[in-house]
Amino acid sequence: MKKVIIIALGLGLALNLSAQRFLTKTGHIYFSSDAPLEKIEAHNRQVNAALDSRTGDFIFKVLMKSFAFEKALMQEHFNENYVESDLYPNAIFVGKIPNLDDVDFEKAGTYQVTVMGDMNLHGKSQKIEEDGVLVVSKDGIQATSTFNLEIADYDISIPGAVAGKIADEIQIHVDVNLKALNK
Amino acid sequence: MKKYKKILGIALVAFIMVAAYVWFFVYNKPHRNIEKAKADYELSAEVAYHTFHSGDPVQAKEYLGKVIQLTGQASHIESGDSLMVLVFVFEEGMFGDEGIRCSFLPKYNQQLASLDLSKEIMVKGYCAGYNETDVIMEQCSLARPQ
Repeated sequence: MKKVIIIALGLGLALNLSAQRFLTKTGHIYFSSDAPLEKIEAHNRQVNAALDSRTGDFIFKVLMKSFAFEKALMQEHFNENYVESDLYPNAIFVGKIPNLDDVDFEKAGTYQVTVMGDMNLHGKSQKIEEDGVLVVSKDGIQATSTFNLEIADYDISIPGAVAGKIADEIQIHVDVNLKALNK
Repeated sequence: MKKYKKILGIALVAFIMVAAYVWFFVYNKPHRNIEKAKADYELSAEVAYHTFHSGDPVQAKEYLGKVIQLTGQASHIESGDSLMVLVFVFEEGMFGDEGIRCSFLPKYNQQLASLDLSKEIMVKGYCAGYNETDVIMEQCSLARPQ
């Protein structure tokens, strides 16, 4: 009986890890701006992310209005003046993991990866290439990365009056727990 | 001289009052209390989803950033680290189930855990928009006890 349970558990684990598509709709992305006059942080906990373990395709969809700030006024300015979330509601990243051969999705472990692709934010698309970490376990894949974005690259202009409060470079923190889509 | 001092004193007090007003009610104004706010729109969850998914884009834009009260039968609840999300499913797509995802205020976690999903639910929250798969609602509360 014990043997049967162990084989069944092992089979379940193998099936889970050999799944092709992994996704989440509760990914967490937050950004921080460390300017001389103010430190700003905003969190979004309903991020869509999907990874195809066979092709290395990686996609993120981030609804701008879901970013929660500590100060209501900052949230208002962010949506209305900077990212203009009524006009450009989503930020979308579509890319790939080029060093996919370095990751064994069937073996639990921590793998360093590079992700490259197109980041579309505020109606502007830029090619980016960033480092990240994939932690493969029986529960799925945890993907984390921290990188910087120049806000000027996305045509986001900051008025002179608040220039000292918002950094030119924003640090983005990504933490998503992807689960196998067994459908 | 005394008169000037008096004017200076009044100007200083006025300046402090204006600065305090700006500090407390503009710069540090509180977030809108979505739980207590009156809903801008009340509709069924199904109508709301189809308005964003394949309906009228002008009407969908009206819902953006507004307080919406939705009624319908929810499909399931997802629990994250600190987040509970009530999901109304209407379609099946590349990202799995598609519909309306309502992330709740943490104070409702206990009520959600004992929610009877076979019954109709009324949810109020801030409509953050449509991410091309789901309509996202934030800071949700149960608008009517079950």
